[in-house]
Amino acid sequence: MATLTDVQPIPKLDPFKGVKKLPLEEFFTSGHRTCQGCESALVMKMMAKAAGPRTIVLGSTGCMYVANTTYYSTSWVIPWMHTQLGSSGSAALGTSAALKALMRKGKMKNEPINVIAFCGDGGGADMGLSAISATLTHPDYNCLILMYDNESYANTDIQLSGSTPYGAHTTFSPPGKMKRIMHHRWKKNMAGMLAAGHPTCRYIATMCMSYALQGMNCVRKALSIGGPTFIHSLDPCPKGWDYDPYLSHEMGELAVTTGVWPLYEVEEGVVKLYGKTKEIAEGRYKRGQVREYLLKQGRFAHFKDEDIDYFQSKVDEMWEKWLIPGVIPFRKEVEADSPAAR
Amino acid sequence: MGRLFAVEIVYRGIFQKTLAKNISRAIVLAAHCEGKPGISFGRYGDSPERNGIPAKSFAIVATDDLTLEEGMAKYEPKEVDISIAVDDTLCKGVESWAWYGLQPINRLTKPGGTLIVTSREQPETLIPMCHRKEYPYQLAIVKGIPSFSGLWVYKDDHTDVRILGAIARLLPELFGLESVQKAIMQEWQDPVKASSAARSYERITSVTVRPEQGNPEEPYKFELPKWWEMGEGIAIPGIAPGHTMQDPESQKSGGYQPARNPTFKKFTTRTMRPVVNFDTCIKCTLCWLQCPDSCFDVTPEGLYDANMEACCGCGVCEAVCPVKDCVTMVNEIAFQDNASQWEMWRKDKPVYQAWLKEKIEHRPERSHGFRYRGQYEEQVPEMMEIAREDGA
Repeated sequence: MATLTDVQPIPKLDPFKGVKKLPLEEFFTSGHRTCQGCESALVMKMMAKAAGPRTIVLGSTGCMYVANTTYYSTSWVIPWMHTQLGSSGSAALGTSAALKALMRKGKMKNEPINVIAFCGDGGGADMGLSAISATLTHPDYNCLILMYDNESYANTDIQLSGSTPYGAHTTFSPPGKMKRIMHHRWKKNMAGMLAAGHPTCRYIATMCMSYALQGMNCVRKALSIGGPTFIHSLDPCPKGWDYDPYLSHEMGELAVTTGVWPLYEVEEGVVKLYGKTKEIAEGRYKRGQVREYLLKQGRFAHFKDEDIDYFQSKVDEMWEKWLIPGVIPFRKEVEADSPAAR
Repeated sequence: MGRLFAVEIVYRGIFQKTLAKNISRAIVLAAHCEGKPGISFGRYGDSPERNGIPAKSFAIVATDDLTLEEGMAKYEPKEVDISIAVDDTLCKGVESWAWYGLQPINRLTKPGGTLIVTSREQPETLIPMCHRKEYPYQLAIVKGIPSFSGLWVYKDDHTDVRILGAIARLLPELFGLESVQKAIMQEWQDPVKASSAARSYERITSVTVRPEQGNPEEPYKFELPKWWEMGEGIAIPGIAPGHTMQDPESQKSGGYQPARNPTFKKFTTRTMRPVVNFDTCIKCTLCWLQCPDSCFDVTPEGLYDANMEACCGCGVCEAVCPVKDCVTMVNEIAFQDNASQWEMWRKDKPVYQAWLKEKIEHRPERSHGFRYRGQYEEQVPEMMEIAREDGA
């Protein structure tokens, strides 16, 4: 008896070889009501370009739902459907299962169709975590959940989320005269958490579309490896981070080169750092100071030197003390303390 | 019944949100000083705001409570005594969140009402940008670089109180300068702001815009289907795939132009536009690739032509372009249409180069808000200098 896994065809998507070899076609096009310099809209464009025309996209509530598909208006060339805030995981799984059933019953041509569900950090890291987790435990369904993380509930005017960085000014954490830092929680480590917690999930990655080719190739790998996959994308947000939109691309680069945002893939259980992050880890590129990243953003304009130092120390800790730098926040001491398990 | 006053503030979403709130709130506070009740509010349909996308605030004031209530029974005013555009590029018309199609900046301005614009330009530049009206209205210019900041850090360059001072002069029935200054002291406890308002009051002038003056174009509009006309499951058609482009000179076809959302064009969000030097372009793809709005059309010879119907002027293309002076952002004021730069270049390269040079040389500086900590402190003195020179 054939297993269900055999029934669903997997697309073959080789990595793009260079920016000059990219397909010209757009599957997410102009005319969305996002901010000037919106990096999340850029992620949608690149994601659709990487996936190609045989793709269904499902979108949780958030900027990329509200701004892109206002009343009787859309920027999508490929089919797109709205799903509720916390349900990107369920929508991805359900759509993939439905395609599989239709193909098995012969009601649809048996062909690879990409299923991508996206969610923001509010919809993913906060509300949708359980549904995403459940989906990642189902090995039989091909789908990608892409979390575009602009580090706040940006659509509703920048409320704090589990993904908001330490100390940032948001609608829920305005710095006051007496108390300067109104948000003292550290950002949730989504990709690392999901990779550690879902051992059968074959592909989990972080990306930033300032490195477009690498990002698109993450999407292609996630769609063609088989089973459910997850990508966490850091998207600089000119509105919520409060910077001049022309800096959008540079802000993504700074997040990576200062080590705040490590780029890595966990493929079949193997962690691979890539791009600038790899260069930093191998000592080929000197990690920048977070100061140059923070002080270009109005959301950190209230920071004093001690706050910047604290931020720097937490990033240093991530690079110097974590079991796998940037990925798994356990201390190395754990290894030394428990040799008996081997 | 008493008299109802309505003022609208048209502004750039997020960049001027605090500025617009300050103005509409202070209008009502100044009117309170004269015993007139009022209310200030942002247009619900414009929220959640996006950087640059035009939005509106209103201040409604009446001589008595009943008149105010009557005025507030309308969702938003159908006509206003004063329209304020806190950025001069808004004069080209606005396509906001709350609206499909292009609205003239002076659409709600009453016969004989006033349009106040923050600008460094002269009336001769601004009047042709504004759509024609059937009746005369006044245009008043508060001299200054349009004030842009962001959601969290406000650039206090006194634009807010200078507009208040101008209103006191242009519509004295609403409130006098004394009330404006009293409201400023209550709100900000800043005598320098109060004197900025007074200086603006003394120096503001207005010109009459006659019906035959202005942009004669009919603003584009859409008839949107009603909800009961939509497909099953509230489905709507997707955008068509794109197509190749054709060279107007050689008739050669190739490249790629995406199809675009027909019901939202986004170009009125733009305060600066990229001009492209096709002769120095090395076809690196970065502007095309990194544009969040997919605004670059790929020409048959593999150049990238920023489509001015789709470009919202974020400036990322200029930032990522590795060639010095290939992509340059220029103040939107310098342009009268959305024509293709590539077609102009294909037609006559020397003419295009001269055009390009002229546009780049004569661009007044603009910025889009926060770039680094301490930037506003550096910019405010320049604004205060312009305010002092205003009319002098």
